Amino acid sequence: MLEFKGISKWYNVGGNKTYILNNVDLIIREGEFVSIMGPSGSGKSTLLHIMGMLDEPSEGYHYFMGQAVHLLKEKQRSQLYKQHIGFVFQAYHLIDELTVYENIETPLIYQNVKTSERKAMVADILDRFQMVGKKDLFPTQLSGGQQQLVGIARALIASPRLLLADEPTGNLNSKQGEEIMEIFKKLNNEGVTIIQVTHSEKNAGYGSRVINLLDGRIS
Amino acid sequence: MLKNYFRVALRNFWRNKVFSAINILGLAIGISSALVIYLIVQYDLSFDKFHKDGDRIYRVVTDIKFAGEPFYNSGVTDPFAVAARKEISGIELCSNFYTADDIKVVIPNSTSEKQGIFRKQKNVTYADEYYFKLFPFYKWIAGNTQDPLKAPYQTVITESRARTYFPGLDPKAVIGKQIIYDDSLKTSVSAVIRDPEEITDFTFREFISMATMDANHMHNEEWGSVTSSNQFFVKLAPNQSIAKLNSELSALLKKNNKNEQTSSTNYMIEQLQPLSDIHFNDHYDNFGQRLAQKNTLWGLSLVAGFLLLLGCINFINLTTAQASQRAKEIGVRKTMGSTQKQLVFQFLSETLFTTLIAAFVSAIITPWLLQIFSDFIPAGLHFDLLNQPQLILFMIALVLVVTLLSGFYPAMILSGFRPVLVLKNQAFGGTAKTRRTWIRKTLTVSQFVIAQFLIMATLAVTKQIHFTLSKDLGFKKDAIITMRIPWNNRKPDPNRDVLLNEINKMPEVQLASLAEPPASTNTSSRTIKYKDGKKEIETDVQLKYGDTNYLSLYRLKLLAGRNIQESDSEREYIINETYAKILGFNNPEDAIGKMVGEDKKIPIVGVVSNFHQSSLHTPIKPLAICSAKNNTYSISVALKSSNGDSKNWQNAFAKMGVVYKRLYPEEDFKYDFFDESIAKFYKSEQDISRLLKWATGLAIFISCLGLLGLVIYTTNLRMKEISVRKVLGASVRNLITLLSTDFIRLVIISFFVATPIAWWSMNKWLQNYAYRTELSWWLFPLSGFIIILIALLTLSIQTFRAAVANPTKALRSE
Repeated sequence: MLEFKGISKWYNVGGNKTYILNNVDLIIREGEFVSIMGPSGSGKSTLLHIMGMLDEPSEGYHYFMGQAVHLLKEKQRSQLYKQHIGFVFQAYHLIDELTVYENIETPLIYQNVKTSERKAMVADILDRFQMVGKKDLFPTQLSGGQQQLVGIARALIASPRLLLADEPTGNLNSKQGEEIMEIFKKLNNEGVTIIQVTHSEKNAGYGSRVINLLDGRIS
Repeated sequence: MLKNYFRVALRNFWRNKVFSAINILGLAIGISSALVIYLIVQYDLSFDKFHKDGDRIYRVVTDIKFAGEPFYNSGVTDPFAVAARKEISGIELCSNFYTADDIKVVIPNSTSEKQGIFRKQKNVTYADEYYFKLFPFYKWIAGNTQDPLKAPYQTVITESRARTYFPGLDPKAVIGKQIIYDDSLKTSVSAVIRDPEEITDFTFREFISMATMDANHMHNEEWGSVTSSNQFFVKLAPNQSIAKLNSELSALLKKNNKNEQTSSTNYMIEQLQPLSDIHFNDHYDNFGQRLAQKNTLWGLSLVAGFLLLLGCINFINLTTAQASQRAKEIGVRKTMGSTQKQLVFQFLSETLFTTLIAAFVSAIITPWLLQIFSDFIPAGLHFDLLNQPQLILFMIALVLVVTLLSGFYPAMILSGFRPVLVLKNQAFGGTAKTRRTWIRKTLTVSQFVIAQFLIMATLAVTKQIHFTLSKDLGFKKDAIITMRIPWNNRKPDPNRDVLLNEINKMPEVQLASLAEPPASTNTSSRTIKYKDGKKEIETDVQLKYGDTNYLSLYRLKLLAGRNIQESDSEREYIINETYAKILGFNNPEDAIGKMVGEDKKIPIVGVVSNFHQSSLHTPIKPLAICSAKNNTYSISVALKSSNGDSKNWQNAFAKMGVVYKRLYPEEDFKYDFFDESIAKFYKSEQDISRLLKWATGLAIFISCLGLLGLVIYTTNLRMKEISVRKVLGASVRNLITLLSTDFIRLVIISFFVATPIAWWSMNKWLQNYAYRTELSWWLFPLSGFIIILIALLTLSIQTFRAAVANPTKALRSE
């Protein structure tokens, strides 16, 4: 489903190239649950951002679902990830001005889903995550675990094929973290490909494969 | 989607109440002033725009050059209209009418309150039978609608006049009723028309048939004498050359005006003045109606534009300054699949939301603004959103323009954020993001340039007004009142002498004198010839009629010769220095005894030192003072100093009133303080000054609001820095200086930008005055000082609060 060939990312610092990612090759198949691990600054997040097409590599080939992403234009790329990729962040990144309901609804709006359909889909997912009673609350009125649940619900609302998670349990206590991981496991069993960045061996244990990153290289 | 946007807009709006209030206040002020000024401009521009074939209707006016001095008259010579109708081709339709103001109207057998006597009726005209054909916009109610003005002694009146003259009568019943004008013209009403509702300078309410004038030999058959009362309008056949007609009309005048010798400095020509020009051209009067000045309209529009721009700048500055707070939302939205276009659209709709609220606020405050400027605003102007579709369209356009102007740039900035930068956890939103502050700084500087410019302009205008009002005009102007006595054909009028005598005897009165007109009022003028051996000097000389008290009452200084002696008609002249110099007498003594004039030689008996016989707009012109009681219907009275006790004067006025009423029972006793009349010369300056003061106040207010918003934002950002500094021992003063310096620097830059612009334009404005104040250098630093002081005060509202805040609070939350 996803293939990186010779992906590098660097910044020019004082005339010298500082590599964040250095010649990364990797293949991720449909249905995998991959954990990316590595010390701080090893390039985990950058790798994830490039996978999610939020960031562009400085060089290399990037294929996603049979399309050469590195050849696509901005608009087509956005069309692609909008349809197939969902994001979960460590800091949840919910929009504070929107209610739980509206936060979850937002991706559908950008995919031009009709109002009536949107209602049904959001109601469905709220039910699935047992948050119907909280739909009119604002993010600040929720606990961290609950916020992350909303974040996941939002990521899943458009039924993506790939879920990218950047330290999804980083801001949560261990019990909340476990719950999230259980949900991931369940989603993976339902066929969603998951790639998560994590520091925790325990979390990585939920996945099927671990990619270790050190100084921008896969080790 | 739009609903979603508006929801976010509303929540953001509530969350940032202070910034929202600043934005809305700034925009609302801008929009309100734009509305008010739009109303004024629109009103003045719509005068007489409704006439059928109005683009082909012209007024024939007369341009005169007398001794090289140009004069402009809105009328034609009396026989001209009739001759032009016969002899000039290319005119499809024409009408001649004669305005008759202050006419006396008597309604016989009237039961009305005033017993049917109306003195000094306005808006009355003698019109020929073609008037209603040339201006067919009047709506007929009753009577002869075909030729109501053909026969002599016919009158057409409007509904409102019909009600005044014949209360309780149906318009149909009014037809045939008698109206007597000036005690001698017995006319009967031939038709009643509706009062025109259109915006027009044609405000006549009574039309007496021109044939009435013919039948009473009221015409002045002279071709050489032109009066603005005699109006001549023509409707040209399509595709006529204006230049050709101008020369044909002038040729017609020249052919008939045989007595006049023409030269390059002495001529009289006819011009076609387009109907659309009548409301604006101040060379020609428009039947005594208010003239609008296009320059003023432009200036007003500019002021409105400035204020609007200031509001927009506030919005841009505050929105971009706060951008980092929105950054997370933008990043999230982008990862959720929003395109930049969608985000731009979202932010623009937020701006639209704010602008709509501002527009709503201004719809509420506009009527109040109109009230404040009521004496500056034409009487026929209304603000009524529901019944003025044009106004609604303008408001919609205004809202859209303001939205784009203030929303586009922030929208581009905000929507341009790269999601990855934004979402890289929290690192954002600090002081590091200074990339675009220079734009914000530039905008702030331009705001203050506008504010500074307005302050400087206000100071300069105020200084000029002060200069004109306090300048020694060469005569005494305080403690003098002027009054008029009715024009009387019984010459000489014995009552006048009685009045003058009685006033002179009153203990409160220092001196009373005939004075037509008072020392400083527009004067009639005449060409006077003087033969100096071989050379003939022809000068346009202003004439003032006084009596023996004139000089001493106005404290005019006699340089040579003696005072005039009393006389019924012009016998001798006292001239001013200017005229003496023109005649070639550098030494005033030399002028004494010289004879001027052509048919009737009149000796110069005295020379007075120059004084300003008109407003300071015009230079001192050659002048002659003479005694001619038959031409004098105005009295000036110098009062004794009241020593602060106004009772004395009130007493005197009451006594004068009694005498006046006894002598002229039909008139009302009215008087004017002379210095107030002089101040009225400068009404337009006073108006400009008042408007400028308001505009300046508002501009400063809006700019300071913006400044306040920015300083609130930056102090919030720097709270941690402030706390650390404080812990390290910084004093409150240190901190305030630290926080204010950046902003004050911007204000100082704006001072250096605004000064040359203001200096240049104020110099240009002062060129309008023959006598003008200096643009003193201190004007500019003063205005700079004022604005810096205001800016500092504004800043201190926030900086002080930040500086005295408890540092542990900010540090703990870290």
